[in-house]
Amino acid sequence: MRCLRVRWAVLLTLLAVLAAACGVAFSAEATLEELRHAQLQPSGITDLLDPIAESGRVGWDCAPEHAARARTARAAELPAVEP
Amino acid sequence: MPPVRERRAPPSCLRSNLKVLRAAVLALQVGLAAALTGSALAQAYPDATEQPHTTDPVRLRALATRREIHERFARGLRAESRADWQAAIAEFERIIALDPPEPAGSTARYDLAIARARTGDYTAAALLLESALRRDPGFTAAAANLVTVEVLAGNAAAARAAADRFVALAPASARARYERGIVALQTGDLAVARDDFRALLAGDPAYAVAHYDLAIVDVRTAQFDAAELELDRALAIDPSYARARFALGTVFLQTGRRAEARAAFDRAARDASDIMLRTLAVELRDRL
Repeated sequence: MRCLRVRWAVLLTLLAVLAAACGVAFSAEATLEELRHAQLQPSGITDLLDPIAESGRVGWDCAPEHAARARTARAAELPAVEP
Repeated sequence: MPPVRERRAPPSCLRSNLKVLRAAVLALQVGLAAALTGSALAQAYPDATEQPHTTDPVRLRALATRREIHERFARGLRAESRADWQAAIAEFERIIALDPPEPAGSTARYDLAIARARTGDYTAAALLLESALRRDPGFTAAAANLVTVEVLAGNAAAARAAADRFVALAPASARARYERGIVALQTGDLAVARDDFRALLAGDPAYAVAHYDLAIVDVRTAQFDAAELELDRALAIDPSYARARFALGTVFLQTGRRAEARAAFDRAARDASDIMLRTLAVELRDRL
């Protein structure tokens, strides 16, 4: 009878350990899945273009208008690489 | 018959002087031509403001108003340059109340919108930029800032409408394509986002951030080969681009290449200056 109790105890302990191991593995995999999706976010939005002087848009020397129409990222004042 | 006098060549010293004289005349002509061309190409500055010679009250009032607008613009811009937004708001609101002609009217609204946005009043900023664009529909900088303001306000639909208007106004603009691409990506319009990032890269293939964003579009549409290609391009431009390296790690994970994913997360962890990104990269690396 005592031997049977010991066997049951060992079996239950093994089952508990197995369940715990499965739980940890499942939890880790879920976290991995969540993390890899959560971080793939687009890059940042652009900052506001600078103010314009009273006569800024008369003639050729209006930096914000140039930036708004520029064809390259640097001239357009787009966000740089964030390390 | 008098003897024919032979014409003698001038003495060598005189010949030399003649050569110098000719060279000097030529140089003078060239200099004069250059000066005339230069003055034609140079920027023409307006004449000094004429002093008012009038006692007409209407004319005097108009002159005073013009002067006040000029002074308030200068003060408002100085306030904005030192981030004194409340002082700037007061100056530009007064200018708008004085109702200056274009382009000063739309410019004042644009400048006031910047001050309002900097204080977090995005609704007022958006209304001012809309008003500036009604006054001058070709005001590209206002169209650009309107997109940013609507994004900051969290108005996705309004941001998209503003971005569409900006692209229509300046289809070749890198900023227009970038802003609409980001808005479209955030709202799940992946086809438009892909078109915009491709258009941006057609004009500037060396912009690593656009390669990264295009890769995000590819990941979301499960085109992992294309995503890997774009991330490789981004990393070829900037090998320390940790966010792109991290994204490449996730692409490797998606395609079952755990060893390569681990290496990518390890490198991302070393390159990242953003502590959140570094922590996540370390965590993912250690789980693999």
